[in-house]
Amino acid sequence: MTDSFASPISLNEIQLWDKMKEKKSMISLEVELTARCNNDCSHCYVNLPADDVDSRKRELTLDEIETAADEAMELGTMWCLITGGEPLLREDFSDIYLTLKKKGLLVSVFTNACLLREEHVELFRRYPPRDIEVTVYGVTKQTYEHITRKKGSFETFKQGLDLLLDARIKVRLKTMAMKSNLHEIEEIAKFCRERTKDFFRFDPFLQLRHDGNELRNQLIRSERLSPQEIVALERSDPARFNALEIQCQKLSNHDSDLHCHHIIHCGAGRGSLSLSHDAKIHLCSSLYDPNCIYDFRSGSLTDAYTKFVPKIRMIDSGNQEFLQRCHICSLINLCMWCPARAHLEVGNMDGFVDYFCQVARARAEAMGITVSIPG
Amino acid sequence: MEEKVKLDEIYIPSQDVVVRQIEDEMIIIPVASGIGNMEDELYTVNKNGKAIMKLLDGKNSLQDIVAELSEKYDAPPGELERDTIGFVQELFKRRLLVRV
Repeated sequence: MTDSFASPISLNEIQLWDKMKEKKSMISLEVELTARCNNDCSHCYVNLPADDVDSRKRELTLDEIETAADEAMELGTMWCLITGGEPLLREDFSDIYLTLKKKGLLVSVFTNACLLREEHVELFRRYPPRDIEVTVYGVTKQTYEHITRKKGSFETFKQGLDLLLDARIKVRLKTMAMKSNLHEIEEIAKFCRERTKDFFRFDPFLQLRHDGNELRNQLIRSERLSPQEIVALERSDPARFNALEIQCQKLSNHDSDLHCHHIIHCGAGRGSLSLSHDAKIHLCSSLYDPNCIYDFRSGSLTDAYTKFVPKIRMIDSGNQEFLQRCHICSLINLCMWCPARAHLEVGNMDGFVDYFCQVARARAEAMGITVSIPG
Repeated sequence: MEEKVKLDEIYIPSQDVVVRQIEDEMIIIPVASGIGNMEDELYTVNKNGKAIMKLLDGKNSLQDIVAELSEKYDAPPGELERDTIGFVQELFKRRLLVRV
């Protein structure tokens, strides 16, 4: 016996990932603790009122979360994302967080930070999260509260964020880019970059509601940026724009995919699963096609991952419009299209979404790519 | 001054770490703060370390572990002793192991 015994290693250096990918292990689990939220953001695809009794009754229990986590860990899971709604609305948030942490999971939390209190910070200080992601909707009270539609939320957000930053908890900041904050987006980026050195991202894609609420969907659509606005925003961030270009070059020749008619070619259900607040298992947090949802309360996460998901990933499209259009489009990697989003937009996983196509074309044009899009 | 581990002592993984075996890798995951000094730090344990780690059950002293290893490995007892002490010393210093 010789040499050194235990080596500190950062996550991205670990050699295990290749093996796990090869064996199709489940690497991460997303747990949506609640669909309820203290805010009422106009663009949100999930939020229900904080006092929604029916939704609360359906929420995952701590025992169920623990069972799911145990199963996920048996399948290899190392990461767990806690999200919502607003996860801090759960009175047992600390118990859930600590349970997952003490199992050895690397836990990330998505929160709006408005409900953060000293006790949460103390918990995070003692048991550090992998990271906490906070969305910055605006950096003025007017913009922030126009989006959250909750009076006083800007002040509570700032207090919560300061608590985290003062305690040196690893925080990542992000924003959703939309009509209501577009005028402030540079200030938001500055605000975020001043507070977190290594990370800031914006997302220009506003997803439609999981519950299909048409009134709320109208609000979401009204907040969406135009393709030109999205491209202008992306071009203002050279690193992001370059990443898009590289992605396009690297993945647009997906020849092997063209010969099969499977609808799902993305990573949905491959290496991760999403457990929604009402104990339903989804291949990804956006995939709400009823045929692709597994009831955790009637089965098990292991069964979902090892038996249900592979079947779903084998579903073929018989939609000629899809097969002759999006499926073979060389701009697919510049497009916001994916089966989950298509289902939310038009009710079919293999549906065509004009808005997405327009964004892809605008991005291609900005990159100087001249391609004739099928259809 | 560094506290030296001794052969007649018993060590176990700290309550603030979780030891996981994933595929053929043994990984030590710090759960609480104060262990490790870089972001996302985990610890991978090499083959020799794994053999020792599996014997840190709260009953075996380090001397017991050396004796057990000497039945399994064709290595001089002095080397096994050095390795066991070295391994435990390294992890004890990082607070991944605690003395019982």
